Amino acid sequence: MTTANGYIQAVIDHLPRGGALRAQVAMELEDHIAQRLESGRTVEEALDQLGDPRALAESYLAATPLVAPPLSRRLAAKVADIAIVAAAAMPMLVLGTRALPSELAVLVVVATLVAASLGFGVYTIAAEYWMGQTLGKHFLGLRVVRESGAAIGLGSAIVRQLPVLFQVYWLDVLFAVFTARQQRAFEMLSGTRVVLANSSSPSPRRADDGSPRA
Amino acid sequence: MTKSEEREDGRRSIERELKRGTLELIVLHLLAPGEAYGYEIVSELTSETKGALEVTDGTLYPVLYRLERAGFVDVRWETQQRGVPRKYYRLTEAGRRELAALTEEWTTFSKAMTKLLQKERKVR
Repeated sequence: MTTANGYIQAVIDHLPRGGALRAQVAMELEDHIAQRLESGRTVEEALDQLGDPRALAESYLAATPLVAPPLSRRLAAKVADIAIVAAAAMPMLVLGTRALPSELAVLVVVATLVAASLGFGVYTIAAEYWMGQTLGKHFLGLRVVRESGAAIGLGSAIVRQLPVLFQVYWLDVLFAVFTARQQRAFEMLSGTRVVLANSSSPSPRRADDGSPRA
Repeated sequence: MTKSEEREDGRRSIERELKRGTLELIVLHLLAPGEAYGYEIVSELTSETKGALEVTDGTLYPVLYRLERAGFVDVRWETQQRGVPRKYYRLTEAGRRELAALTEEWTTFSKAMTKLLQKERKVR
């Protein structure tokens, strides 16, 4: 049996992390279900009326168009992420070259490069899965979502990074230049895309400002 | 799938398309008298149309959110004595203009449709 809380959790699990939408939807559904119960319905009936949690989450998300960022901004975010991981790998390089005899310096450099590449992959997957964005993407106002706008799963987060592992990164990136939604090949494969962050997190707009009065 | 089942399906899909196209108008209309919260709108809709226009609760909330995003409704959270805060919806000026425009559009369409369907036609 699904409980009301279990249902609400299932809905908001599909909404992007960060932003106020999750909390708002949770409160609204909680209030709604409470009202249904007060009017004599069972939890099953109330949840049945609300429908499939994923479909509900996706129709909330359909209210906000997803906007693809300029590719230059994605490139800048990638450069920022590489710089962050490189900075994190620096101590290993410095300590390694100091502690070991100089004949092994090449080995230290290679080991650092391998560790940094692996670390880069793990960092990107973890950040995109848990927060919907890497630090670089955060600084440049980008986030990773499913094509519907929903939060991505761990599987998708991993598939997104496979081209690096397979060494087909450049070919993969080329797809972003030519496809309609500017998706890399492995983004299409994983059903994910990168969008402007403010397009998928709600920012309540007052109708009274900005729009000209008739 | 048999022929008659296919027909059934076709009819249901007309109903679905009609609802999808008119749901925003319906919600704006129900909000015209004044502020209301989600559950009030749902129950008003069900009781007034005796189920003919029945929409599931799950379709209504995203429509309200869409109207909010578009600036047609303003929202206000009110803390209740017990339980979670409640979200109230109210039409904005832009919302009233949208309501007038959509009402006009629907009236024109439904008049034309009725006229078309009621016209006597000679056997060719």
